[in-house]
Amino acid sequence: MSVPVSQMYTVASYVLQQKLRRRKRYPFVLMLEPLFRCNLACAGCGKIQYPAQILKKHLTVEQCLAAVAECGAPIVSIPGGEPLMYPDIDKLVAELVKLKKYIYLCTNAILLKEKLHLFTPSKYLTFSVHMDGLREEHDEAVCRDGVFDEAVEGIKAALQRGFRVTTNTTLFDGASPLRMREFFDEMMDLGVEGMMLSPGYSYSKAPDQEHFLHETRTNQLFSEMLSKPKRRWKFNQSPLFLRFLMGKKDFECTPWGNPTFNMFGWQRPCYLLQEGYAASFQELMDGTKWENYGKKSGNEKCRDCMVHCGYEATAVDHTFSSLKGFAETVSVTLSGKL
Amino acid sequence: MSFEGWVPQINDYTSLREVVDFAFDYRGNTTVVKRDGGEIVGYIFNREADAPEAFIQLFDEQGDGPFTIPYRDIATIKFTGKDPAAGNSWKAWVERKEKERALRAAASGADRLGRDPGPDGG
Repeated sequence: MSVPVSQMYTVASYVLQQKLRRRKRYPFVLMLEPLFRCNLACAGCGKIQYPAQILKKHLTVEQCLAAVAECGAPIVSIPGGEPLMYPDIDKLVAELVKLKKYIYLCTNAILLKEKLHLFTPSKYLTFSVHMDGLREEHDEAVCRDGVFDEAVEGIKAALQRGFRVTTNTTLFDGASPLRMREFFDEMMDLGVEGMMLSPGYSYSKAPDQEHFLHETRTNQLFSEMLSKPKRRWKFNQSPLFLRFLMGKKDFECTPWGNPTFNMFGWQRPCYLLQEGYAASFQELMDGTKWENYGKKSGNEKCRDCMVHCGYEATAVDHTFSSLKGFAETVSVTLSGKL
Repeated sequence: MSFEGWVPQINDYTSLREVVDFAFDYRGNTTVVKRDGGEIVGYIFNREADAPEAFIQLFDEQGDGPFTIPYRDIATIKFTGKDPAAGNSWKAWVERKEKERALRAAASGADRLGRDPGPDGG
């Protein structure tokens, strides 16, 4: 685990507060999408297929901050689209830092080097760089040659200037465990703080529908990839979530864990499914039929989903729900053995 | 399959509720034809079929909105805009990459054939 102690403390105290208040459902990470525009058109992405007038629009900083206040989650992830194309990204980040929110700015890093001057290094700000494997795999996943090298340049520049940098990797069917292990080494050599992994989700609007992982295959891939993990590999996510991906734990989805806000409102029910929008966070929490989602519900859209935005919150909640869960997390973290 | 170009007739076989659901899932612009004869072109991003007064919400072609239109005011919805989710960019990309790999493999094969493998076999 590579999460700084202050961040761990913030998350732990937030979760314990929710437990003490006996809140059955609480948000963990706000997924804040200020725009859908992107400078890539990745085959596995279901986020950018919109008509031109929608791609030109974006939220105001005020709308973003109102959503952050409404939601109250301690972590704000800024995906998109490409957030570095958001014209007020510097103002938004500065305001969130003032609020002491831990920010994961999810970027393909194509613009990172040229936009770094807009930001100030802070423990609250992490550039989470999209990296779907080594050069060949990454460029193939993003459907453009040269992007891996541009991202590496961006990462080096950000690290040199003292920023926190992590990587986020989505894995599709056909990924090679051995190549991924090489990829982990390469990212650690670059000096990133940690890596985040997740299997891809089969967006119904994504151009590529053939290469998404199903549960058994996911377990097999992650088991092979993460067996005998090297001590130097650092993962910026719950070790219990990784154990879940390896098939060593059985979790149920927490669809309200990572609520999503964008120009359409609060997305029902989760970051991946788009079944409607609520006008307020409260309306999302109170008016969504949560029992219709997750594996137990039998909803076929949830059947093969093992994505971090649904299960990482479950893993974190599990850590703080019992002494056993806490002990397991501590043990895995200290031993480094998944 | 894409609904691009579909002009549904609301009748006993195709309900307005179904058409609205298809339009909500559609990632291009549509034309909402109102019962009073008026039309509005835009992107439908939300619908609440089970609300006390069922409605859709859309941003128009200029990006203005959101506009809310009750179901009772809608005659039909035409799928007039291009479907941006119907692309085959992945397929085209994979085909191009496969051609490149084949060319590289052919080139390296020719290279190996023309080189002395050395005492240990290369």
